[in-house]
Amino acid sequence: MQLTGRRVAFTMLMLVVLGHSASALFETRDAKLQAVRTVGIISALGDGFIFSKAGLTGFGNPGRSVSIASWALDDVFTQQASALLSSRFQIKPVSYSRANFVAITESPLRPVELIRDRFRKLVETEVTPQGLDALVVITRARADLGAGGRKVEGIGLVTYSTMTESYSAIHALYEIRVVDGKTFEVIEKLAAGPVDSTTDFRLAGPSRLLDQGVEDSSDVASDERLHGAILDLITRSLPTTLQDMHLR
Amino acid sequence: MRDRIRACFRPAAGAAARRAARSAAAAFGVTAGLSISAFAQTAFTLPSPPFELPLVPTLSGTWTATIGAEGAYKPDFEGARTSMLSPVPIASIRRAGSPDAFRSPRDSASIALIDFGDLRAGPAGKFVPARNQASNAALRGLGDVNAAFELGGFIEFFPVDWFRLRNETRAGLGGHGGVVSDFSADFIVPVTRALTISAGPRFTFESAAATAPYFSINQAQAMASGLAAFNARGGAHAAGVGAQVRYRINPQWEVHSYVEYQRLLGDAARSPLVTVRGSANQTTVGIGASYSFDFKIR
Repeated sequence: MQLTGRRVAFTMLMLVVLGHSASALFETRDAKLQAVRTVGIISALGDGFIFSKAGLTGFGNPGRSVSIASWALDDVFTQQASALLSSRFQIKPVSYSRANFVAITESPLRPVELIRDRFRKLVETEVTPQGLDALVVITRARADLGAGGRKVEGIGLVTYSTMTESYSAIHALYEIRVVDGKTFEVIEKLAAGPVDSTTDFRLAGPSRLLDQGVEDSSDVASDERLHGAILDLITRSLPTTLQDMHLR
Repeated sequence: MRDRIRACFRPAAGAAARRAARSAAAAFGVTAGLSISAFAQTAFTLPSPPFELPLVPTLSGTWTATIGAEGAYKPDFEGARTSMLSPVPIASIRRAGSPDAFRSPRDSASIALIDFGDLRAGPAGKFVPARNQASNAALRGLGDVNAAFELGGFIEFFPVDWFRLRNETRAGLGGHGGVVSDFSADFIVPVTRALTISAGPRFTFESAAATAPYFSINQAQAMASGLAAFNARGGAHAAGVGAQVRYRINPQWEVHSYVEYQRLLGDAARSPLVTVRGSANQTTVGIGASYSFDFKIR
């Protein structure tokens, strides 16, 4: 009888230990963010504006990138994210090599993307100062477009051709990671979603149809209409994305 | 709200929990009803799950759910002369805004683990229902064939957005233990923003072990059915063509229709089951509609 009592006690102890381990293992991202106080913001979308074509196109149709460095979109992201997060976190300035973050590309092997985050090592080795509770890393995202295998990425404009018409849409595709500043584990990662679900145009990220086409020219940087439209996409999508990530 | 949902999952949580569950359900229903009528906006918001699994991406964000139904008029069994109408449910969930990747009616369930954009590959699987001799007079005396699971992989290549080449190769478990390899090509033509037409040829290769359970007739089956004994071997199994039309009425509603024709080849076409009681011409026609709505997990 005493042996049975010991067994019961041992089983209960094991259940408590296992329960505690399981709760740590399955701890929600929301719970992990509770301990975060100091945050650094890294924005590295790069300075490229990508023109791409989809739908009824010819063979060999890679996108073409032109520079929009003068728009300083990474500064815009940093400023807006800082303003949105400052009510909950202490925002600390950080320095990092933006080019190194921009250069990292997505692996075509999806399981690899799930297991090994491509930005983790950069955050660990190239960001100063170290020791912040978390780092918010904003980088460009990719999304499928149309029924074929076409993908569009980052900031740009896509022209989609059907048999009867062509139409253009601008996009600002970005994703946000929250990286633990001590363990460099990715606590949360989310790509910004669409800002409007009422249009025919389907893209899994902030995008907007344009009323009139834009010439595939290298003078994009001076096009205030495009600049304003991209800023609008960022301004409308960033608060929702941060909220969905339980950061606000 | 999260506490209320948790309470729903506790079966003996008492009256307070039941009241919470009722109010949560009521709130859910009201929110869903109001928002769905508010056309194309997020229909409802669900709380994040109370735990998360390692390596599983976050569920937070906006999702698009699609529900619908399709009626498929297809042969009773492979090689049958008669057809029957079967209902097929449509259900999918994807990140909001994601376009529907092109899918032919013949495609098996598959996941692209390798995705270069124009080249995708990954595992594929298909369920082949059991063939019961009681279900059709043409099968009388041939015995039953168990249901089979076909597991394997797919690879597809888009040299341009409007043309897809695809191969699926699967090995059977259960009803047959052979190998099935489906080849298809599809021209995918967006006619307008809302209307897409696709069509292309198909070809299927099957090993002897995949063909024999359905088309071979042994001595006992020959005696029982009155058909001549036949030993079906593998090889070219079927060739055909398929076409599909999809029309998006608005961001929520979509209708589609398709026709798939295939002609059985080789020993499948030569089997007495087909030559005497069935047909080598196999046609499937389908029509369906689906409704999509957004919901949020936060």
